[in-house]
Amino acid sequence: MEKDKNGKLKIGIYELTGCAGDALLILDCEKELVSIFKAANIQSFLMAKSDNIDGELDVALVEGSVTTEKEKEELLDIRKRAKVVVGIGTCACFGGIQAVFLDKKEWEKNFKKVYGDIKMKHVKPVQSKPINAYIEVDYYLPGCPIGKEQFLSTFNRIIRGNPPELYGFPVCVECKWNENDCLLNKDIPCLGPVTRAGCGSICINHNLPCVGCWGPVEDANLTSEFKLLREKGFDYDFIKKKMATFSGTGMADFLGKLEGEKK
Amino acid sequence: MRITKLKKDNLFPFLEIISEEADLWVPVKKEDKHVFKVVDDFSEIEMNSTRTILPPRKIFLPPNFNMFSVSEKGYKEDFSHVTKKILFGVHPCDIHGLIILDNFNKQAYLDSYYLEARKNTLILGLSCWPDEYCFAKSSNTHVIEEGYDLFFTNLEDFFLVWIGSSQGDDLIRLKPELFDEELKNKDIQTYINWQAERNNAYKWNINFAALPDLMELKYKDPLWERLGDACLACGSCSNVCPTCNCYNIMDKQCLGGKDGKIMRHWDACTLKEYSEVAGGENFREKRADRLKLWYTHKLQAYISKYGKPSCVGCGRCIATCPVDINVRTVGKALIGEEVDAFWARINKEVTK
Repeated sequence: MEKDKNGKLKIGIYELTGCAGDALLILDCEKELVSIFKAANIQSFLMAKSDNIDGELDVALVEGSVTTEKEKEELLDIRKRAKVVVGIGTCACFGGIQAVFLDKKEWEKNFKKVYGDIKMKHVKPVQSKPINAYIEVDYYLPGCPIGKEQFLSTFNRIIRGNPPELYGFPVCVECKWNENDCLLNKDIPCLGPVTRAGCGSICINHNLPCVGCWGPVEDANLTSEFKLLREKGFDYDFIKKKMATFSGTGMADFLGKLEGEKK
Repeated sequence: MRITKLKKDNLFPFLEIISEEADLWVPVKKEDKHVFKVVDDFSEIEMNSTRTILPPRKIFLPPNFNMFSVSEKGYKEDFSHVTKKILFGVHPCDIHGLIILDNFNKQAYLDSYYLEARKNTLILGLSCWPDEYCFAKSSNTHVIEEGYDLFFTNLEDFFLVWIGSSQGDDLIRLKPELFDEELKNKDIQTYINWQAERNNAYKWNINFAALPDLMELKYKDPLWERLGDACLACGSCSNVCPTCNCYNIMDKQCLGGKDGKIMRHWDACTLKEYSEVAGGENFREKRADRLKLWYTHKLQAYISKYGKPSCVGCGRCIATCPVDINVRTVGKALIGEEVDAFWARINKEVTK
């Protein structure tokens, strides 16, 4: 990657559809904020500054999922301008809560139910999808929101030209490090085994089951988790809803298959 | 080896004195399980605790700690986890676990992070009573002859205290009047009766001697695929195992500056990334293959090298695995017994 005349990489931070929690988290790194702006040339960061330039970039950090045609165009443009694109947050990585609907027909039905037959003048809504539905994504930084530690170390690696180094294992690993008793063994529906670690098992530390907000871990055994919860007596639809909430399109295929088996 | 006697009323005064010498870690309750912790109030100590959620190795090598602090001047080893500690209430099986880790960490490469912490920690063992998960008698780890500084056998209104090292003896010499060198015949008989009763209290056993051959004979058995189908790959079996010791290292550079840390965290061969190598190849991508490796290590490879399994019968995998993949069910399945376990049921229809 090329550096600017001050020896810094040009970086843009963008927000698509989401709660802006990831951008907010970056701003919330108060102690490190000066270092972040010193270490890189932040060209665009709508939440933090007004003099944004949409030019060539070394790295684009993109939060949120794509829910309108306009966002789709914006994303394609970011990809064109940036050498490296990093998806930050569960929405960008997996589609987020707004991507829970399983198939297009169901989405259209729901859309109509909420908005009726009105014609959208300025935006053309599309079904929520993660950014990799439209562009090639170099790195993912999941989390809802992303973690401070995780963001700072990833940001630091990226501006040095290194790929991120994230935990590739499920929440259970951190949960055991924190010496929690397994909630699944107490018949509490916990998604720890299928969810990516990095949060420090914060919910389970407070005796609340994992809801899967960091999105599915690569090696998730969804079938076993599903059947285990079924055996513990949880209702089919309850498990489906729980598993689909944060995993967006990441779980859609799996749940679609289950749907098929049910019929 | 000298054996002395401590009246139960004298335990807290003794712990009070020794806790001035070092951080005293003791078993306490965490909801309905137990953990090792430093406490201010000794009444929190669980004298009849079952296995702690994490084994005592967490005190020697924390799950995630800094190995090196890096700066422009070079790197400096960080031994801040090494402090003077006394670990009270360690059960015989866990002491065996530490002996296995000692051997491992003293092999070709000396792991100074472990060995330094070990050198600075005194082990005060405590006898225990088996629950439904314990099978330490099968691995002969229900009794302990080495690896402790003091060992307390918990009898009626007193402890018989084995002195296992000169450092253990030094602790007693801090206040010898609390101890009673004169053992009465009655005390000895109490111990003999306790031992016989305790040895009979193990509810089940596993024939470890048969397992190395069975691992070999059943290396291609469909059993492993069945286990792999159910395994959540959560790594919990490895995290709670007192003899697992694999780790991974991650660099944490400080933003903007030139300083950094090199963090070391517990890893597990049951996790997918563990076997990933440069270029993204993975030798054990399948969960079945990873489980096979874990069980080969515990039940076969270690036995052929050291004549004993690297399983100490603590029962943590049984108490922890949500899908019942543990030494008991896998051992039984290897021997050809019917197993009642989630992994054995998973491919059958789940009924509402």
